[in-house]
Amino acid sequence: MIEAALPGAKVEVADETGTGDHLRATVSAPQFEGLSRLDQHRLVKAAVKERFDDGAIHALSLKTAPS
Amino acid sequence: MVCSAHQSFPAAAISTIDGMADAELKQKVEELIAANPVLLFMKGVPEAPRCGFSMRVVQVLDSMDVEYGAIDVLPALQPLREVTTEISDWQTFPQLYVKGELLGGADIVEEMFDSGELAEALGVEQPEAAVAAPAAPAQSPPLRIE
Repeated sequence: MIEAALPGAKVEVADETGTGDHLRATVSAPQFEGLSRLDQHRLVKAAVKERFDDGAIHALSLKTAPS
Repeated sequence: MVCSAHQSFPAAAISTIDGMADAELKQKVEELIAANPVLLFMKGVPEAPRCGFSMRVVQVLDSMDVEYGAIDVLPALQPLREVTTEISDWQTFPQLYVKGELLGGADIVEEMFDSGELAEALGVEQPEAAVAAPAAPAQSPPLRIE
Protein backbone atom coordinates (compact mmCIF):
# COMPACT_ATOMS: atom_id res chain seq x y z
CA MET A 1 0.00 0.00 0.00
CA ILE A 2 2.78 2.38 0.93
CA GLU A 3 4.72 1.46 -2.20
CA ALA A 4 1.63 2.03 -4.34
CA ALA A 5 1.10 5.50 -2.89
CA LEU A 6 4.78 6.43 -3.03
CA PRO A 7 6.27 4.92 -6.19
CA GLY A 8 9.95 4.14 -5.74
CA ALA A 9 9.66 3.91 -1.97
CA LYS A 10 11.59 1.31 -0.01
CA VAL A 11 9.50 -0.09 2.81
CA GLU A 12 10.44 -2.46 5.59
CA VAL A 13 7.70 -3.56 7.93
CA ALA A 14 8.16 -5.45 11.16
CA ASP A 15 5.41 -7.00 13.23
CA GLU A 16 6.09 -5.67 16.73
CA THR A 17 3.84 -7.96 18.74
CA GLY A 18 3.33 -10.99 16.50
CA THR A 19 -0.35 -10.12 16.18
CA GLY A 20 -0.01 -8.29 12.89
CA ASP A 21 -1.72 -5.13 14.07
CA HIS A 22 1.15 -3.32 15.81
CA LEU A 23 3.63 -2.59 13.06
CA ARG A 24 6.93 -0.82 12.72
CA ALA A 25 7.77 0.53 9.30
CA THR A 26 10.91 2.10 7.94
CA VAL A 27 10.17 4.00 4.77
CA SER A 28 12.55 5.78 2.45
CA ALA A 29 11.07 7.47 -0.57
CA PRO A 30 12.20 10.01 -3.17
CA GLN A 31 8.95 11.94 -2.48
CA PHE A 32 10.22 12.80 1.04
CA GLU A 33 12.99 15.04 -0.29
CA GLY A 34 12.57 18.52 1.17
CA LEU A 35 9.68 17.55 3.44
CA SER A 36 9.64 17.86 7.22
CA ARG A 37 9.40 14.65 9.24
CA LEU A 38 5.80 15.59 9.99
CA ASP A 39 4.95 15.75 6.28
CA GLN A 40 6.82 12.52 5.57
CA HIS A 41 4.76 10.77 8.24
CA ARG A 42 1.57 12.38 6.94
CA LEU A 43 2.19 10.88 3.50
CA VAL A 44 2.73 7.39 4.88
CA LYS A 45 -0.24 7.57 7.23
CA ALA A 46 -2.48 8.76 4.42
CA ALA A 47 -1.36 5.75 2.38
CA VAL A 48 -2.36 3.27 5.08
CA LYS A 49 -5.39 5.16 6.42
CA GLU A 50 -7.83 2.51 5.15
CA ARG A 51 -6.16 -0.18 7.24
CA PHE A 52 -6.47 1.98 10.34
CA ASP A 53 -10.09 2.74 9.55
CA ASP A 54 -11.01 -0.92 9.08
CA GLY A 55 -9.15 -1.85 12.26
CA ALA A 56 -6.51 -4.06 10.61
CA ILE A 57 -3.76 -1.89 12.11
CA HIS A 58 -3.91 -0.47 15.62
CA ALA A 59 -0.50 1.08 15.87
CA LEU A 60 2.22 1.98 13.42
CA SER A 61 5.68 3.15 14.39
CA LEU A 62 7.35 5.08 11.62
CA LYS A 63 10.82 6.04 10.68
CA THR A 64 11.08 7.93 7.43
CA ALA A 65 13.88 9.35 5.32
CA PRO A 66 14.27 10.72 1.81
CA SER A 67 15.94 8.33 -0.61
CA MET B 1 19.76 16.12 37.59
CA VAL B 2 16.86 18.34 38.46
CA CYS B 3 13.54 16.59 38.18
CA SER B 4 11.32 18.05 35.53
CA ALA B 5 8.04 19.42 36.73
CA HIS B 6 4.90 18.77 34.86
CA GLN B 7 1.41 19.92 35.36
CA SER B 8 -1.55 17.78 34.47
CA PHE B 9 -4.82 19.39 33.75
CA PRO B 10 -7.40 18.03 36.18
CA ALA B 11 -10.02 15.61 34.92
CA ALA B 12 -12.69 18.22 35.61
CA ALA B 13 -11.21 20.46 32.93
CA ILE B 14 -11.43 17.59 30.48
CA SER B 15 -15.06 16.81 31.27
CA THR B 16 -15.83 20.42 30.48
CA ILE B 17 -13.98 19.95 27.21
CA ASP B 18 -16.03 16.82 26.61
CA GLY B 19 -19.31 18.68 26.60
CA MET B 20 -18.14 21.47 24.32
CA ALA B 21 -19.31 22.09 20.80
CA ASP B 22 -16.64 21.59 18.17
CA ALA B 23 -15.89 25.26 17.60
CA GLU B 24 -15.63 25.87 21.33
CA LEU B 25 -13.40 22.86 21.79
CA LYS B 26 -11.14 23.95 18.96
CA GLN B 27 -10.81 27.39 20.51
CA LYS B 28 -10.03 25.87 23.91
CA VAL B 29 -7.34 23.63 22.41
CA GLU B 30 -5.80 26.55 20.53
CA GLU B 31 -5.73 28.55 23.77
CA LEU B 32 -4.03 25.69 25.63
CA ILE B 33 -1.43 25.30 22.88
CA ALA B 34 -0.74 29.04 22.94
CA ALA B 35 -0.59 29.21 26.74
CA ASN B 36 1.77 26.24 27.24
CA PRO B 37 5.21 26.46 25.62
CA VAL B 38 5.50 22.68 25.97
CA LEU B 39 2.22 20.82 25.82
CA LEU B 40 1.63 17.10 25.49
CA PHE B 41 -1.65 15.58 24.41
CA MET B 42 -1.50 12.01 25.66
CA LYS B 43 -3.51 8.95 26.60
CA GLY B 44 -3.57 8.88 30.39
CA VAL B 45 -1.55 11.17 32.65
CA PRO B 46 2.24 11.45 33.02
CA GLU B 47 2.09 9.46 36.28
CA ALA B 48 0.08 6.71 34.60
CA PRO B 49 0.25 6.72 30.80
CA ARG B 50 -2.33 4.42 29.23
CA CYS B 51 -0.57 3.86 25.95
CA GLY B 52 3.00 2.82 25.16
CA PHE B 53 3.55 5.66 22.73
CA SER B 54 2.41 8.24 25.27
CA MET B 55 4.65 6.65 27.86
CA ARG B 56 7.66 6.97 25.56
CA VAL B 57 7.13 10.71 25.13
CA VAL B 58 6.65 11.17 28.89
CA GLN B 59 9.93 9.31 29.49
CA VAL B 60 11.75 11.56 27.02
CA LEU B 61 10.33 14.74 28.57
CA ASP B 62 11.01 13.53 32.11
CA SER B 63 14.64 12.89 31.20
CA MET B 64 14.99 16.55 30.25
CA ASP B 65 14.90 19.54 32.53
CA VAL B 66 11.68 20.91 31.14
CA GLU B 67 8.27 21.87 32.43
CA TYR B 68 5.32 20.71 30.41
CA GLY B 69 1.58 20.64 30.46
CA ALA B 70 -0.18 17.35 29.80
CA ILE B 71 -3.71 16.75 28.63
CA ASP B 72 -5.37 13.37 28.85
CA VAL B 73 -7.23 12.91 25.57
CA LEU B 74 -9.07 9.72 26.54
CA PRO B 75 -12.18 11.39 28.01
CA ALA B 76 -12.79 13.18 24.69
CA LEU B 77 -10.77 11.15 22.22
CA GLN B 78 -12.84 11.50 19.06
CA PRO B 79 -13.67 15.22 19.38
CA LEU B 80 -10.02 16.00 20.17
CA ARG B 81 -8.89 13.90 17.21
CA GLU B 82 -11.15 15.98 14.96
CA VAL B 83 -9.82 19.21 16.42
CA THR B 84 -6.13 18.30 16.07
CA THR B 85 -6.82 17.13 12.52
CA GLU B 86 -8.13 20.61 11.76
CA ILE B 87 -5.38 22.44 13.63
CA SER B 88 -2.34 20.34 12.70
CA ASP B 89 -3.47 17.69 10.19
CA TRP B 90 -2.49 15.02 12.74
CA GLN B 91 -4.91 12.36 13.95
CA THR B 92 -3.00 10.22 16.40
CA PHE B 93 -1.93 10.75 20.00
CA PRO B 94 0.44 11.52 21.66
CA GLN B 95 1.15 14.92 20.14
CA LEU B 96 3.84 17.21 21.47
CA TYR B 97 3.52 20.95 20.87
CA VAL B 98 6.46 23.24 21.45
CA LYS B 99 5.99 26.99 21.27
CA GLY B 100 2.66 26.57 19.55
CA GLU B 101 3.87 24.18 16.85
CA LEU B 102 3.27 20.46 16.54
CA LEU B 103 6.64 18.75 16.83
CA GLY B 104 5.34 15.22 16.30
CA GLY B 105 4.19 11.99 17.85
CA ALA B 106 6.31 9.44 19.72
CA ASP B 107 8.46 8.38 16.75
CA ILE B 108 9.44 11.91 15.73
CA VAL B 109 9.94 13.05 19.32
CA GLU B 110 12.29 10.13 19.99
CA GLU B 111 14.17 10.69 16.76
CA MET B 112 14.59 14.38 17.60
CA PHE B 113 15.63 13.49 21.13
CA ASP B 114 18.33 11.12 19.89
CA SER B 115 19.67 13.67 17.41
CA GLY B 116 19.67 16.51 19.95
CA GLU B 117 17.09 18.50 17.95
CA LEU B 118 14.54 18.17 20.74
CA ALA B 119 16.86 19.71 23.34
CA GLU B 120 17.50 22.51 20.88
CA ALA B 121 13.78 23.07 20.26
CA LEU B 122 13.13 23.10 24.01
CA GLY B 123 16.13 25.31 24.74
CA VAL B 124 17.63 22.86 27.26
CA GLU B 125 20.83 20.87 27.54
CA GLN B 126 20.85 17.41 26.01
CA PRO B 127 20.89 14.98 28.97
CA GLU B 128 24.21 13.09 29.18
CA ALA B 129 22.51 9.70 29.34
CA ALA B 130 21.12 10.19 25.83
CA VAL B 131 24.57 10.87 24.43
CA ALA B 132 26.07 7.89 26.22
CA ALA B 133 23.29 5.43 25.35
CA PRO B 134 24.19 4.66 21.70
CA ALA B 135 27.73 3.74 22.81
CA ALA B 136 26.46 1.10 25.24
CA PRO B 137 26.34 -1.93 22.90
CA ALA B 138 29.99 -1.37 21.97
CA GLN B 139 30.94 -1.86 25.61
CA SER B 140 29.72 -5.44 25.77
CA PRO B 141 32.59 -7.88 26.20
CA PRO B 142 33.99 -9.36 23.00
CA LEU B 143 32.85 -12.86 22.13
CA ARG B 144 35.30 -15.53 23.14
CA ILE B 145 35.77 -18.62 21.15
CA GLU B 146 36.66 -21.53 23.37
